[in-house]
Amino acid sequence: MSYKHIGKDFTPPDIFGKVTGKAKYAEDFTADGMAYARLLVSPMPHARVKKLDLAPALAMDGVFGVITADDLPPVEAPNGGILTNEPVFIGDPILAVAAVDEKTAEDAIGRIDIELEPLPFTVNPTDSLRPAGPNARREGNIYAGSPPQVGELHWRQDEVERFLAGGQPSAEAPIEWQYGDLEASFDNAAVILTESFVTTGYAHMSMEPRSVMSYWENGKCFVYGSTQSQSFIIPFLAPMVGVAPEDLVYVSEYCGGGFGSKIFPYPIMALPAHFAKKLGRPVMLRITREEEYYIGSARVGFQGWIKAGFAADGRVSAVDLYIVQDLGPKRAGGDASSAGGAVSILYQPEALRLRSVPVLTNTTPRGAQRGPGQNQIAAIFEPLMDKAAQELGLDRVAIRRINAPDSNAKLNADQGPVTSAYMAEALELGAKRWNWAEKVKRSGRRRGSKVTGIGVGQGYHAAGTSGFDGLVRITPDGKIHLHSGVGNLGTYSYASTTRAAAEALKCDWSQCEIVHGRSAAHLPWSSYQAGSVTIFTHTRANHVAALDAVAKLKEVAAAALGGQAEDYDIDGQRVFRRGRTSRALSYGEAAAKAIEMGGKHSGVEVPEDIHEVTKRAVAGIAGTGLVGVAKDTLPKRGTVPGFAIGFVEIELDVETGKHEIIDYLAVGECGTVVHPLGLANQLRGGGVWGFGMATTERHVYDPQNGLPANVGFYQCKPPTYLDVPSRMDWAAADIPDPDNPVGARGIGEPAMGCAVAAVMCALSDALGGHLFNRTPVTLDVILSHIAGLPPTSGPLAINTF
Amino acid sequence: MEIVRYREDVWGREVLLGVSWDLLWLVIAATFIVIMVHAAIMLARKSGPRPSADGERLSRHAAQDRWFHWITAAAFFVLLATGVLPIVGVKFPWLTAHWVAGIVLTAAIVFHIVRSLFWKDLAAIWIKPSDLAELAGGAAAPLPGKYSLAQKGMHLAMAVLVLVAVGTGIAMLVQIDTPWWARSNFLSEAALGWMFLLHGLSTLALIGFAALHLYFTARPEKQFYLRAMVKGWVSRSELAAHHDPARWTPDAAASGDAAQASPGLGADAR
Amino acid sequence: MTAYDVMPDIELYQPATVEDATELAARLKGSAWLLAGGQDTYGWLKDRAKTVEAMIDLKGIDALKGIRETPGGVEIGALTTLTEIVRHPLIGERYPLLREAAAVVASPQIRNMGTLGGNLCQDTRCWYYRRGLSCYRAGGNTCYADSPAGMNREHALFGASRCVAVSPSDTAIALSALEATMIATSRRGSREIPADDFFVGPDVDIVNMTALAADEVLASVRLPDRWANAEFHFEKVADRNVWDFALVSIAAALRMRDGHIENARFACGGVACVPYRLPAVERAVVGKPRSESTGEQAAHLASRGAKPLNHNQFKVPLMENLVRRALRG
Repeated sequence: MSYKHIGKDFTPPDIFGKVTGKAKYAEDFTADGMAYARLLVSPMPHARVKKLDLAPALAMDGVFGVITADDLPPVEAPNGGILTNEPVFIGDPILAVAAVDEKTAEDAIGRIDIELEPLPFTVNPTDSLRPAGPNARREGNIYAGSPPQVGELHWRQDEVERFLAGGQPSAEAPIEWQYGDLEASFDNAAVILTESFVTTGYAHMSMEPRSVMSYWENGKCFVYGSTQSQSFIIPFLAPMVGVAPEDLVYVSEYCGGGFGSKIFPYPIMALPAHFAKKLGRPVMLRITREEEYYIGSARVGFQGWIKAGFAADGRVSAVDLYIVQDLGPKRAGGDASSAGGAVSILYQPEALRLRSVPVLTNTTPRGAQRGPGQNQIAAIFEPLMDKAAQELGLDRVAIRRINAPDSNAKLNADQGPVTSAYMAEALELGAKRWNWAEKVKRSGRRRGSKVTGIGVGQGYHAAGTSGFDGLVRITPDGKIHLHSGVGNLGTYSYASTTRAAAEALKCDWSQCEIVHGRSAAHLPWSSYQAGSVTIFTHTRANHVAALDAVAKLKEVAAAALGGQAEDYDIDGQRVFRRGRTSRALSYGEAAAKAIEMGGKHSGVEVPEDIHEVTKRAVAGIAGTGLVGVAKDTLPKRGTVPGFAIGFVEIELDVETGKHEIIDYLAVGECGTVVHPLGLANQLRGGGVWGFGMATTERHVYDPQNGLPANVGFYQCKPPTYLDVPSRMDWAAADIPDPDNPVGARGIGEPAMGCAVAAVMCALSDALGGHLFNRTPVTLDVILSHIAGLPPTSGPLAINTF
Repeated sequence: MEIVRYREDVWGREVLLGVSWDLLWLVIAATFIVIMVHAAIMLARKSGPRPSADGERLSRHAAQDRWFHWITAAAFFVLLATGVLPIVGVKFPWLTAHWVAGIVLTAAIVFHIVRSLFWKDLAAIWIKPSDLAELAGGAAAPLPGKYSLAQKGMHLAMAVLVLVAVGTGIAMLVQIDTPWWARSNFLSEAALGWMFLLHGLSTLALIGFAALHLYFTARPEKQFYLRAMVKGWVSRSELAAHHDPARWTPDAAASGDAAQASPGLGADAR
Repeated sequence: MTAYDVMPDIELYQPATVEDATELAARLKGSAWLLAGGQDTYGWLKDRAKTVEAMIDLKGIDALKGIRETPGGVEIGALTTLTEIVRHPLIGERYPLLREAAAVVASPQIRNMGTLGGNLCQDTRCWYYRRGLSCYRAGGNTCYADSPAGMNREHALFGASRCVAVSPSDTAIALSALEATMIATSRRGSREIPADDFFVGPDVDIVNMTALAADEVLASVRLPDRWANAEFHFEKVADRNVWDFALVSIAAALRMRDGHIENARFACGGVACVPYRLPAVERAVVGKPRSESTGEQAAHLASRGAKPLNHNQFKVPLMENLVRRALRG
């Protein structure tokens, strides 16, 4: 299908601000009389505040006040409170001081007399599961159930030992689901692989720390924050700051990275609003890099066991997956089930069982991080595919093609359908584009101390939802205002999804203006900007809003020029009568006419089914133009899958343990390409992060005292420009999804998962098929393996290797 | 001037770090003043004729005890130099020499304790109420037995201080790597602070007492004690002048250089 | 306490001459911070892990900048940036070892700001110490890294004495291999300190990494002719290619004669608190060709005496491999 905008590059409007430095992020805002707040965070991994003397701080000149947990609404464990009297990790915020400047606030914090009573703590889930293991919270050590709540679970010592030794786990797992006949399917397997594995958690470390500024004005609460989402924030943040949604003004025009940690409003985000109310003045809370490490979330860690059966033809017959999750001390989870889901769709096993134990630890709180669960298991399962391929004498791409999901694929416990899937085509495209058949011959090639490793990896994430609203407005000056309630997390999908509206309106892009970034700009109800959902979800919402606008254009034209709406068509910013194209209104004229007509045409009346947020947005613009607004009720017949495949060639230096990525190709299987540059950046950026997850990024904790080792950006070791190839190739299957009006599906998360998997496979390939079964594979791990050194940490060590 | 130094432990709680080394200068100054005052008093006092070293030689210190004393003294000075010089700014690799000397000192002390308990007259060094009469001074004061009250006091003080220093030193040794073990977390940070404090305080006191010990050893009227610690004997006249033969009746020293003689265990056990 | 990141009040002095700087250093001894490129300064001060009352900014002193030829070799002002060293033709021609070392320091941005003096005098990267804990190196009475379950992957194999931190400087090992001398200046005069004496281990001084006295300013570094145009090998192995510190690094200078090694100096980084010289290797390779087999013979000598901690055993084979590579040429 030929499109005017879809599949074409364009320049998103926020680029200029970003490259010139004029963009205003949360901490760039100021307000008259603004106080600066600083946090006092816990120096202990688990403790109770025994004594707190604020008087010396409050007596200081320039100090406006202190806020503690006692000033804030209580929160039920293990949900993250804004502040706490019972910190559960080093860095847990206990109180905040506001002063005339940050230095004074910090000096005041230094004068506060605080005494903490240490409580038992753990940085290792399996330690907590031991018979008398420490509980990360006083309430317990696991977070499970329906609805999930904190409980206590300790295994028998022999169960712990068996799990650590790699034996089939038999201990109680609060989460369990299964489909198919596991036993029968394993019986049918020609090859059965059983492995223990670890994927350690690591910080999101968003470039922009989650600074927030808030003030109150005439009953309205203004919040300048940093979130991935925009409109989606409102109904959740409003109760957190104690205000009605309509009285919350939320600004997040730019977001310097969230990676899953800024999908929803996070607890600290509400602090300045509460503090501002208490002090009667605006409050800015700038979050430091170290605090961002503490409260900026991290990936859930896995200590797991997997058994995978493969039939003689290469089909995955059965998978038994057991995962102990390292959840940190607060509400998190879902990663293990997502991992099971990813296995169910990517390899289409006949039978699958997932068991999981979500354990709390006194490490930083966890949350969704790009491909939460899917990417951890990709790092572990894909090298198993290679091993099975080797044992069955199959090519590594071939075994993936044999198992590749198509549009009849089923997934998850309920074995539900997908909207479409074309992984066989994508694998074929990638293999051809990358010249797999030739490059795989380089596997194991030795050049001096360097060995070539070839890897292919696959990533998956559900990538689309529905039911959100779209809003477009045509003003009498002929401008088309595309209102986007999608957050600006850096993927530009807030902008690229509006291209679907422009497409339906058949207008020039130069006539379009994207409205976004602040709730006061009248933004529609939109999905969270995460989970790879935006492209699918909001091309639909924009499409339906544009269709509504088109219908109204025709009605307005018919009213102005005679005839029926059906007699009219649009193009070139004109609505014209078919066959008599001179009978036409420009979009500007139509907008003026719509204002004159009022009612639904100018947004004075709105559809019943749209969200309250959208209704308020439309009310704000009613009477200013022709308003197209609609809720997405288009059919969606299953899970919307997003897939990506990574092909990588590395050279591993066996003398240093260092590897170099020689060549990388990422292939997106994500429906129609909407914005090629955006997709390319998603695939490349995901690739870079995947390399980091595979080889450098991790949590490091001292188990003796719960201290985190890598609170700084450089210590967290995301790859830099000079750690990755200067050129990274990409391609897309570009096969439309039938349930999206422009054929699009999401891609964000799989773009990383496939890279983790590909690098893990390539490292294994370079070392003759050795399975590391853990992320990250740091160079010391490689060197120790080559030198035959014993492991430095205990079995399934997590956070401590 | 601070006496004790504090630091924050791994969780930000205040714990002891150790003694303040400002006290070192205080101890040195105080000891110096005590010595000067004593020297001035002694200078003003008319000193009588010194007893002769000639004549019959009586055994005061057995060879084992003299060896013990000098090994202890050597270890002590190595410990002092390696412990204190870095604090006053003389930089050199001191730690190994320090703990090796500490082990030597510990071994010597163990030897001394065992020997004192089972082969020596412990009472000879033990302060008894009757000794307090020596405090009267002048002609009224009775002469002491083998050891004067001052000597017994010095021994007791040194014994207590050295035991504290050695005890805390051993605890600290467990917290560092040695050829025989890797360090442990056997002491909490707070307890470790106490060890450092006691080690430092005992060191400071030992500096003072050692200086006094040296001073008295060097005093003309007491130099025969130094010879006794080197060679093992005192003369009959020295005994008569400084000790009450009724309270201490030593055996005759072996002929020749007593340091080379073998008086046998128990030679001075009276 | 954690998470500061706020600059405290500090008196700033900006001398324009070395004399003024040394005068200030003498007057403010112990309470002042000498500031060069500032790349290992603000983190300490903002996190209040180190507290100073004054800062003496040396960047305005032109006499401390620049690279000049001297009768005995080349002298580099301590305030010369690493980028200038990388780009300077004299260094590139005669001492490419130093150029290679300077070229892999941190990141391009940091090299533009960071100076040679700062790179040499920077403090260790032990994460416990950097956290502001009162460990031995911070004047305390314990080491967290060397505790029974301490996380010490980056720490020392050699020369540990209570503290197991390592020197983070990339240029230090190059200068050690080049037999450089450091010129320390103070109001008392100037003194020349050989590189091997300039860096100090915890056995001698547990709270300082260099022999500089509190009133001394590192003025320059002298590279002797002795090693100009020798054969060199430099390699740094870190987790990342950029903005990372060496897990193990090596600098080797080899003077060849008739295809055989006449004289050699090896220094390793990341394995001790100082640039760790390899005298056994240096002796063993004299008279041998620069070859795979020489490397094979010498490699095991490099790690002799290593005392690995819980998590840094991998440094032993890594170090041996780097010696092999240095001799392979």
